[in-house]
Amino acid sequence: MIEAMHLVALALYLVAATLLGVSLARNETRLTGIATAVAGVGVLGHVLGLVAFWTGWRELPLVGLGPSLSVLALLVGLGSLGVATLGKTGPLGLILVPVAALLVGAAATVGVHPSGEVLAFQGPWFVLHVVLAFVGYAGLTVAFACGVMYLVQFRELKNKNFGAIFRFFPPLDTLDRLGKWALIVGLPFLTLALAVGWAWSERFGRPMEPGNPKVVWGVLSWLLFVAALLARAGGGRRAHRAALASVVVFAIVVVTYVVLRVGEPRAGGFL
Amino acid sequence: MPLAVVGLSHRTAPIEVRERLAFARGEVPAALVGLVESGTAGEAVVLSTCNRTELYLALPDERRGVEAAQSLLAGRLGQEPSAIASHLYVHRDRYVAEHLFRVTAGLDSMVLGEPQIQGQVKDAYAVARETVSPAGAMVGPALNRMFQTAFSVGGRVRSETEVGMGAASISSAAVELAKKIFGSLRGRRALVLGAGEMSEVTLECLRGEGVRTALVANRTFDRAQELAAKWGGEAIRWDEFGAALPRVDIVICSTAAPHPVLTRERFRKAIPGEVRNPLCIIDIAIPRDVDPALGAEPNVFLYNIDDLTQIVDDNLGRRRAQLPVAESIVAEGVEDFWGWYSGLAVVPTIRDLRDHGERVRREEVERTLKRLSHLPDADREAVEALSRALLNKLLHAPTVRLREAAGNGRGTAVLDTARYLFELDREPSDEG
Repeated sequence: MIEAMHLVALALYLVAATLLGVSLARNETRLTGIATAVAGVGVLGHVLGLVAFWTGWRELPLVGLGPSLSVLALLVGLGSLGVATLGKTGPLGLILVPVAALLVGAAATVGVHPSGEVLAFQGPWFVLHVVLAFVGYAGLTVAFACGVMYLVQFRELKNKNFGAIFRFFPPLDTLDRLGKWALIVGLPFLTLALAVGWAWSERFGRPMEPGNPKVVWGVLSWLLFVAALLARAGGGRRAHRAALASVVVFAIVVVTYVVLRVGEPRAGGFL
Repeated sequence: MPLAVVGLSHRTAPIEVRERLAFARGEVPAALVGLVESGTAGEAVVLSTCNRTELYLALPDERRGVEAAQSLLAGRLGQEPSAIASHLYVHRDRYVAEHLFRVTAGLDSMVLGEPQIQGQVKDAYAVARETVSPAGAMVGPALNRMFQTAFSVGGRVRSETEVGMGAASISSAAVELAKKIFGSLRGRRALVLGAGEMSEVTLECLRGEGVRTALVANRTFDRAQELAAKWGGEAIRWDEFGAALPRVDIVICSTAAPHPVLTRERFRKAIPGEVRNPLCIIDIAIPRDVDPALGAEPNVFLYNIDDLTQIVDDNLGRRRAQLPVAESIVAEGVEDFWGWYSGLAVVPTIRDLRDHGERVRREEVERTLKRLSHLPDADREAVEALSRALLNKLLHAPTVRLREAAGNGRGTAVLDTARYLFELDREPSDEG
């Protein structure tokens, strides 16, 4: 059931991404709505898969690489639905839905099952810490999608290319505002996640090791998040600079994760 | 009642004819009342826009009604109907519905898919519904259903196809470009250089999109004031427009100057550093008003008339590609409406046919039973039942065929034949 629902979600995310690609190529805006609906069904299947995990293993899918990637994928999928429905920017799914598909595909590949990892940091604190952090990273992913689309649309408008991308991609101002709010909302979540982790460590006398990959990645992510927001300050082309910063920060966060992950001796954990 | 549309449009008549034939809104009720009270039309709607004047009619007598409508239109030009016959078209029955649905969907418009026509058709219908006369309402079941179906078809064409998508004029292309940069234009500030016709049309579009402040600069200050007053803007002196540049998001240039009025030097003087927020400059003047080198400025988006034309051409091409889908939606609407309308027309004939048969049956049974007075009640009832069964058997096939004919569009001819063969138009008192 858990794997089956993950595969269903993956298939639906891929269908939605394909529909968005066709929508871009043919400039049929109706397909964007259909793609959003398909992605919505995918999210539903994804939720059912994670609920099956919870009922089957009697634990939340927050420990271990597979479950963690799956939850992060779900949050990115929800972010995609959110911007499509509330922000009326369905085309952002062109980036967000494949990211969700990639994450859920990776989760399915490594296996969505408990890692057997015994955590020192457990209970409601841990749940809060992980969920808050993942919401923060989902916000960064939305900001990344907005940044990519902003830079591409900016180039199209400057070069007077009035083709499919010009028509399909949202306006620059919309992408800029959405990207800004994704960071503004995401940063407090990540900050709280780090604060909860730190407070727990202090409370139970387990000080954080500066060399711990989780600590390194968390603190670096937070600093990069702040840097992406600060890119909006000052003069000049703020929106363009902010878009570029969101893309670069996201790339650094992902690359850092992969590097730390490769160097991580324990195979089961998220890091 | 047969349906007809009599009218002319941009496809059949030049503007000199169209503008003289067009009805002002206030003139329409009198024309409708005239048509209905004279008995030439049972129902009527007048659609009059700058591109078409059409009379949609449900006619008790088709030939007389069409002639009256032609005379009405020709009379507005002070001419005989034959003098404008080459400009007029007449569509009948299901082709009336097809024409109206195409018009409402914007498929018959000068600019394919333009959205205003649906509102104009709704206005025409509303005026007809609001008009009453001693002879009754202007809109009855036939035109009511036809116009309601037209709005539904128009809505479907707009929502299910992209026939109405994208800018189809230079001014709306300018707005489309600005919206791709700023999203909503609500609250944005615009500067208009030049106060000619193109400036005015573009300013109208921008104001329609919610642009908050519109500064108008023109070499002739009076003209700038005139345009600013008309569209709720603010006139500024020509030599002040440079100082206004840092305060605006959109610049529309449409002067008749023979050389660029917004050079890079002038721009640099107005905005010495990097442009902080995107600035959209639309140069629709020929020769161009803006130094093309300005387009290289980092946050400046500069477009000229060729760029706008390219957008319009692309959009119109995409609209044309959607035509087959739109036409199939129109065809579905026509089938739906005509099936209903033909069915409506066949009901009285079937009823008359059955009444006629029942009357004949009753008379013949009564006559027969008078001669067979010795029959017991049970046998008399058997004769009654036999006559009813015979009548039902005989009328079953004609009833089915009439309904089928109504459904496949041959209703009028078959109905006329049935009424002729069974003498259904004669008063009952005339019979036997």
